[in-house]
Amino acid sequence: MKEKDGFVDYPEQQMILYVEKDDGKYGPMQTGSFISANYMEDYIFKRRNLEIVLREQLYKNDISPVKYYMVLEELSLSELSSRAGIRKSRTKKHLDPKQFGCVTADELRRYADVFNVPVANLLQVVLVNDHDIFESNFILENKAEKISVQHASTDNPYIVLTKIEERK
Amino acid sequence: MIVQNFNHRMAAHCESGAIASLLNHGGLQLTEPLVFGIASGIFFGYFHKMKSFAFPTFIVRNKPGQMRTNIEKRTGVRFKTYDFKDPLQGQQTLDRMLMQNTPTAAQVDFFYMDYVPSWERVHINVHFLVVAGKEDNKYLISDAYFPKMVELDAASLEKGRFAGGAMSPKGFIFHLDKLPADIDYNKAIVKGIKKACFYMLKIPIPFLGIKGMRMFAKKVVEWPKFARDTEHLSHEIMKINILLEDQGTGGAGFRFMYATFLQQAATLIDKPELKSLSGELMKIGDGWREISLFSARIGKNRDLGPEKLKQLSDMIYDRADVEERFFKSLSQAIK
Repeated sequence: MKEKDGFVDYPEQQMILYVEKDDGKYGPMQTGSFISANYMEDYIFKRRNLEIVLREQLYKNDISPVKYYMVLEELSLSELSSRAGIRKSRTKKHLDPKQFGCVTADELRRYADVFNVPVANLLQVVLVNDHDIFESNFILENKAEKISVQHASTDNPYIVLTKIEERK
Repeated sequence: MIVQNFNHRMAAHCESGAIASLLNHGGLQLTEPLVFGIASGIFFGYFHKMKSFAFPTFIVRNKPGQMRTNIEKRTGVRFKTYDFKDPLQGQQTLDRMLMQNTPTAAQVDFFYMDYVPSWERVHINVHFLVVAGKEDNKYLISDAYFPKMVELDAASLEKGRFAGGAMSPKGFIFHLDKLPADIDYNKAIVKGIKKACFYMLKIPIPFLGIKGMRMFAKKVVEWPKFARDTEHLSHEIMKINILLEDQGTGGAGFRFMYATFLQQAATLIDKPELKSLSGELMKIGDGWREISLFSARIGKNRDLGPEKLKQLSDMIYDRADVEERFFKSLSQAIK
């Protein structure tokens, strides 16, 4: 690949591409990500749709909160149980909304650690009104809109401090 | 405490970048492509059904950690490694290294690296970075994927270092221990190439090497049956682009970086035949790049019918054929 053919102007995500320089030597070139530069909107679109579908299933009690995050984070059952340190058969139960009630507070905390969300978010959905459309924080964060929702951990592993504020 | 005279440099790949960074800091000016090539980094593996993955996937590099061990075996460089059961002990050891002015590489789950935009974060337990300082409760991180050094909360680094799951890091860290008096580059490069050729051509496992590419070509047409819906399939097909281009490969699934290695190796050990092979691999890489662009395009357009997937499959079969010829020639060239 020639240097001029590889360059992508996308400062938000930089990377190193090995290219052929003008003198025929191969070497590194700092450039932007092609897929992020050209297809980010499509990624956000699909992610938003997936969140909407999963949230609806969650509201209807068709899936458990553990399943919700597992699908969003593209984890397999084996990987999730291994990361949480919970037996696979037990994690399988926790994916089923009818059996989710048997989950313990400790197990919830373990799942929350894997998903990197506060424990509270396994029992609630936080949506922010953005131009009369309620969106998840994930979508808003990536659109860099005006409102931010920040979760800060406390010394108590079961309590999270949720701060909602206008972006400065 | 900040490690003195440490220079952050971007690299294509996290592991080869971290190793090159530690070596450069220690006084051995080895480029990233030379690290990658000597360590037999180039590879291919296809995983159709594996419990750790939620969807079929593929890899284009050797096993994580092998770059370090192969560099040690082939150059005589020594790294000191540590892993831990106790996170506190893991943090104390890392802090001690920084106090001793020693930049230290750490294996982490990429997902917990808060400086990464949330849309880029995925659970990968084999991300490598270099820790180059600590101030208050924040570590100074040299991550090869970022143009500048970044800060990371101690809690996030600990989560990343002690994440569970497949290839769990277990707090793994390493730093440069000893550089050899001199390196026999001829031996190191030839050994690195021989092993890479073995992995690509002869490894007796049906989903690895060239055989793995053919399995990928054969199985990609079955991907729709694993997908929840068209958007999911589109996402997974577009991930082919990400895996080949964006996840630290230097472009074309490491083929451009390996071509650079061959060109540098040709000069270093005076083997001109490697130079012409490097040109050939650059062209092969362009073909992988076409696969990347094709995957992104059909994914975006939701044009994922059997004909398009067959076209994608044929393109991968074609890469398998040209790479088989290429690695046979490479194998002959270093005999």
